[in-house]
This record gives sequence, C-alpha cells and structure tokens, in this order.
Amino acid sequence: MITLDRRNFLVSTAGLAFAAALPRTAFSETNDTLKIAISAETGDLDLLQNVSTLSTYTIVFDALIHYGQNGALEPGLATKWTIADDQLSIAFDLREGVTFSDGTPFDSTAAEWNLKRWMGVSDFSWIGISDAFDSIVTDGPNKLTVKLKRPVPAALLELTIVRPVRFLSPKAVDKDGKQTAPIGTGPWIVEKYDSSGTSLVRNDKYWGEKPLFSRMELKVVPDELARANGLRSGDLDVIGGDWVATLSPRRARALESDGMKVVAEPGTATMLLGYSPKSKIIADKAVRDAVYASVDRAAIAKVLFEGFADPAADLFPANVPSSGKRHDVPVRDVAAAKKILADGGWAESGGAWTKAGSPLTIDFLVSEESLPGSRRIAEMIQGQLSEVGFQVQVSSVDNATMHERRPAFDYDLAFFTTYGAPYDPHGTLGNAFVSTADSGPDGKIYVSDALDGVVKAALEASGAERDLKMQALYDWLYDNTAICPLVVSQRLWAHNPRAENFSLPATDYDLPFKAITLKA
Amino acid sequence: MKRTILRRMLLACLLILAASALTFALVAAAPGNVAALIAERAAGPGADAHMIAKIGNELGLYDPLPIRYGRWLSGALAGDFGISLRTGKPISSEFAARIPMTAALLAGGGILAFIFSIALGIAGAVSNGGVMDRFLHAFSLIGASTPNFFVAALLVIVFSVMLGWVPTFGTSGFTSWLLPWVTIALFPASVLSRVVRVNLQEAMSRPFATTGFAKGFTRTQVLLREALPNIAIPFLTTFGAQFTLMIIGSIVVETVFALRGVGAFFIEAIRFRDFIGMQSVLLLFVVFFVMVNFIVDMICIVADPRMRRARGA
Repeated sequence: MITLDRRNFLVSTAGLAFAAALPRTAFSETNDTLKIAISAETGDLDLLQNVSTLSTYTIVFDALIHYGQNGALEPGLATKWTIADDQLSIAFDLREGVTFSDGTPFDSTAAEWNLKRWMGVSDFSWIGISDAFDSIVTDGPNKLTVKLKRPVPAALLELTIVRPVRFLSPKAVDKDGKQTAPIGTGPWIVEKYDSSGTSLVRNDKYWGEKPLFSRMELKVVPDELARANGLRSGDLDVIGGDWVATLSPRRARALESDGMKVVAEPGTATMLLGYSPKSKIIADKAVRDAVYASVDRAAIAKVLFEGFADPAADLFPANVPSSGKRHDVPVRDVAAAKKILADGGWAESGGAWTKAGSPLTIDFLVSEESLPGSRRIAEMIQGQLSEVGFQVQVSSVDNATMHERRPAFDYDLAFFTTYGAPYDPHGTLGNAFVSTADSGPDGKIYVSDALDGVVKAALEASGAERDLKMQALYDWLYDNTAICPLVVSQRLWAHNPRAENFSLPATDYDLPFKAITLKA
Repeated sequence: MKRTILRRMLLACLLILAASALTFALVAAAPGNVAALIAERAAGPGADAHMIAKIGNELGLYDPLPIRYGRWLSGALAGDFGISLRTGKPISSEFAARIPMTAALLAGGGILAFIFSIALGIAGAVSNGGVMDRFLHAFSLIGASTPNFFVAALLVIVFSVMLGWVPTFGTSGFTSWLLPWVTIALFPASVLSRVVRVNLQEAMSRPFATTGFAKGFTRTQVLLREALPNIAIPFLTTFGAQFTLMIIGSIVVETVFALRGVGAFFIEAIRFRDFIGMQSVLLLFVVFFVMVNFIVDMICIVADPRMRRARGA
C-alpha cells in the first residue's frame, strides 16, 4: 500500500512539475496527417530571401507555369502564354477565380505587384528574364504582358524555378515590402513553423487537385539513420529527396529489406568530372581521352550507388528538355586508355607515364560535404586510373575550401553536378561552360575560347533552331572530350506502407503528396 | 568567504574573455569564404563575384580581426550575438528557443547520472568483490567506452523500432525524453559509479569506518552512514566535470534524436560555416563550463568546512 507522506508528496510533485516543464512539440498526429522528414527547418519561406529551404515553397506558392514530368510546361497561375514573334514580350492569361489563402484575389494587379518585386532588381539579375526585364502591361484583371529588352529563350523555364518567381499575397508584407507571412495560392497553408518542424493544413480553396488528407507535418530530422528508424517505427511516413532529406542508396536497400517501400526514378542531374582549364596535363586531349576510357561507370552505379544510378555518357539525361542525342555509355578499357596515352606522346616506364619529363600526376579535388558520397567515388576512380598508370592525388576538403578552390581552378580533376530540373539545360550551360560568366562558387566544368561561341549560339537560339544549336554544342563537348559524365543518380525516396499510391513529383524541389492516401 | 567568491568570479570572467578571443580567432582562421556559401544559397546558379563581395562587405568580413572581435564582443555583452547566417534570425532568439531543450536534456541526463552512479557505486561496494561488483565494473567499463551515437542507435532500434515503446525522435511527450536521457547519462554514470565505488572502498579503510564496525553496525550501515557522506567532495568535483562534458555529448544526442537544442544548432552552424552562430555557441559553452565549475566549487566550500577554512586563510 502506498502512503502519501510528505516525502512522497514532494517527490511526486517535483517529478510532475519537471515532466510538465519539458519542451514539447504539440504536433497533432492522426491518420489524416502525412509526416515527411526534412533535414533542416523550412524557415519563414520568404520568397526574396535566401535562408529558407527550397522544398517547401512549391506546396505553398504557385508560379505562373509549373514544371511537369520530363520538362513539360504546365499551366499554373497562367492558363495560357504566348511569346511574341520578336520574343520581346510574353503575354499571360491568368487563371480566374483564384484567391490567396488569406482571401485576397489573385489578378493582374497582384501578379504585377509580385513580378515587380524581383524583375529588373539587381539582386535577381542571375535570372535571365529579370536581367532583360523592361516593363509590365496589364489588360483587365486576367491578362498581363511582360516586356523584355532582349529575347530570353529560357524565359518560360525560368518562370518555373523555386524562388523568387512564385506569388505572394500582396497583404502579406509590411510597410517596407518585407514578407510577413507565407501566404500563397498553393495546395497547402503553413499553420506554424519552428526549428523542430512545420505544420501545414490543406488549402480547401486551392484551384487545382486537392490533397487527399488534411494535414501535413514536416519534421526536422537531420540524421539519416534517425529518419530511417522513424520510417520503420511509423513516426514518419516519407523520407528522401536530394533537396528534402537525402536518402543514401545503401540506406534505401536496408529499408527495402525491412519492408519499407523504396521509390527510385530517373534523376535529372548528372554527376561528372570537370577539367581545370589551368591544368597543363589536362589540356592534353590524350589525357582527357584516357581518363574518359579508364572510368568504369557501370561499376560506380552498381557498387557505390547500389544500382540506384544510371551510367551516363551525356551532359544531361534524356528527361531534361533539349538534352540532345544519346551516346553509348563507354565500357571501361584499360588497354585502350594506355594506347591513347602512348599515341599522345606519353611514355610508360615501370607502370608510370611521363611526357617531356613531367609525370602523369593528377590532383583530384573532392568534398564529401558538398557532394555526399563523392569521396568513395573518388577513391574508386583513383583505383581505376591507377591501373592505367595515372598517379592520382585525392584532395579531400570541406565545403568552404571547395568553394574557394573550384572557382580558382585549383585542381586538375573535380566533381561537378549539373543543376537538374527545372534549372537545366540553360542553367548549367550558361554558368559552367562560358568563360566570361561569373559562376561564383560553382566554378566551371569546362571552358575554352572556342567553346564560348558554341554555347552562346545554343543559348541564344530559339524555335526549331534551338535543338540544332544545342546538338552542335553537345557534339563539340563530346568530340573534344571536354567533359567526363559518370552517372545520373536516381531520385530516391522511401515510404511507410501506410502511405499508399505514392508517386514522385516532377522535381526534387517539390514535396510528394499528390494522390497519396493514408491507411488507418 | 566573500573574498574567495569575488576572486573566483573575477577569474571566471577572465577565463571567459580569454576563451572567447581564442574561439573567435580559431573560427575566423578556418578556411573558406562564408560569403560565397551565402551567395550560392541565395542565387544558386547565379551567384557571382559581385554578389559575394557585397555579402562579404555587409557582414564586415574584410575588416581587421580585432575590429571584428571587438564589434562582436560588445554586442554579445549586450545580449546581441548577431544574426545567424544560416537561419537569418537573431542568435539570441535562437538561444531563447533552444536553450530550454538543451537544459531539459542536460537536467534529465544529470539527474539520471547522479542517481545511477551513486546507486551502482554503493551496490558494487556492498558486494565488495562479489559477482555484482564484477558485473558493475564490467558494465561501467563498457558504458564509458561506448560512443553515444552507437548507444543511441541501439536504444532506438530496441525500444522504438522493435518494441515501439517510445518515439524514435523529437519531443512529443515525456516518453520521448527517456532515450536521450539514458544515452547522455550513460557515460558520466559509468565514470561516476567507479568514482563512488573506489572512494567508498578507500573510505571503508578509514578509522571512522572501523569505529562504526566496533559499534556493531553492518557493512551496509557503515557504507551509508559513515563512508558515503565522506566521499561527497570528490564525487561532487567529478560530477561537475562530467556534467559540463555532457554538453559536448548533447551535440551528438540532439542530432540523433532530432532535438532542436543548442548542440544541434552548433552542428548546423559548422556545416553551413555560420561563423557568427559558431562563435556564439562556443561562448555559451565556455560560460557553461566556467559557471558549473564555479557553482561546484562554491558547493564544496559550503559543504566542507576544511576547504572553507583553507580558502579563508
């Protein structure tokens, strides 16, 4: 029998008070709630600021045009768009009857106000349509025309990116124009957010197909193992996505064996080796050809990506618009690589190559932090190149150092990835292959004076000529062995069997929720 | 007594000042350009040198180090640690939101470590070479040598995934705190249980213990009544040191259990090269270390008349 003496009373009271004082996150979790892991807090989703994570914008805010599967442009807040023959204006028919989640109507006035927050503003000059912006003309509540100073062939694709192109309620700003709340027209409304997660409720006034459940919880779980365990235990329904909460191939296989559902779809970003234009060794085409022939892409895809990657021979995968004709993925050929070097004037002695007294030594810049998994890939490539006779020094550095050394071309060989949908092909081509472009911390994949003109011609072409010029560019890169594509990693997600009818959205900047139903 | 306290406080302030200068210099000396990281995050493919330079100027990154340190320290003393480069929020508001989480983790872990170390130490001393003593010795060795991320993973797999008793992460109620507390308490409890056990053994050979036995007390009675109070000072001193080290453990535990505390903020600040966030957290850690040691010193002085007399002399 328990007696309530003074000591027991004090101990019990102190225990209860301590338990009550513990910080807790009051998520309401029902069968009508989809729980998705995110690796970092979403932030306030300010469309003009840089601190919020990219993956949540697209479910709260709509753009005029949405990026569909394989790069198809789909109507968003614009139902129709027409580019003038001179390409100096784009006319939009705006969707009627749309309201922001605070009840404010979306019309040409709201659209113009939104577009003028970033079009023509110097902070957003990296967006072609902003840099070339001239003026906006409205014609009634549902028609709007953007006028440009010069043609921007990728203008429509640019209007599908994550930010700042999406639309905010004009009432959701303070007197200085700073965003005060994330009020959009999208399928979800932010109910609250903090450092542990973001709660969203369905926007019942959404103009499109409404979600089949009423709540979504984005839970911040930075550790991948914790996310996997959360999925196994049912604390989470969905994990994955390169821009949401990365799921590694090895973890995906482990989850599969535990009865979780893994969804892998072709990716849109290519991992490739880039060559420094300042490297004397790399300037020798024979060396580039030998590297190209030495790398075993199939082994990388099979062993390091557990099969969740596709070997690549082209700059962009086929699901990126205007990505050109496909080349056969080369099969690793050590003898061919050696012959290429010998034909190129390199002399082999004791398993090592020299030319004019210089050894075949390559500095391979790697940052596991900036590209997870890259160190293991670099070590595998190092082994493959060593078999041919290359002496490869892997320089493993942190993200910040990578961002200093890569723009300075302080390497011979370095990993790059193309930007992926919806930023390609114009994003990667315009920044990573043009010598005069200021690509900042991203550096360049390959540049040369001869290439500049080819890229310029491709990016400025429009209509039927665009694909021809693009193909000429891809052919140039291929013929000059200017790049060494490795693999296209697949878009990798896993979900609990509780979440049924799971399908992936068009890009990894979007969160999956459409068509998903939740089993009790 | 008053003079001792004032002297200790002055020393604590000097320590904090020196440590803050050192950490500021170390963080500033780290390679890499944070402005480039911010620019890349802002503009993605469009980040250019002009934008990087603009951001660097806005942050004062190109000012001399002493000026940057002075500016930061004067702000910190006024409670303004600056704006986090990663979250865009004031560091002080980040601290306000996150310190309660870390405090709850450390408090719960500290209580568990305190209770279990004494209980296990006494149990070992009572057994005195028996099976229980040997088992607890082995347990404490394993506990002190197992990394906390491994302990955390093991606990989660057993109690969350297999048994489903507690959540795998987050703070959704009292039960969600159990695994983080056990994880963070295991190392200090293991070390402290050996401190208790060894000191009790030593105390049991002292004359007051012999007197206790002569009075007819049992071994357990002598342990609890005579020996235990006499190990208070070495135990409290070691507990203080272990408790301060728990904040280092919190960095891993908060990450693994998705607790949004100061430790998790620190890890994210390192990843993003949020040097303002890093400096602020390191300053907080230094203050925590110095304050806990100061408090333990004061408790020892109050608890032990010999120390009081020695310090007063």
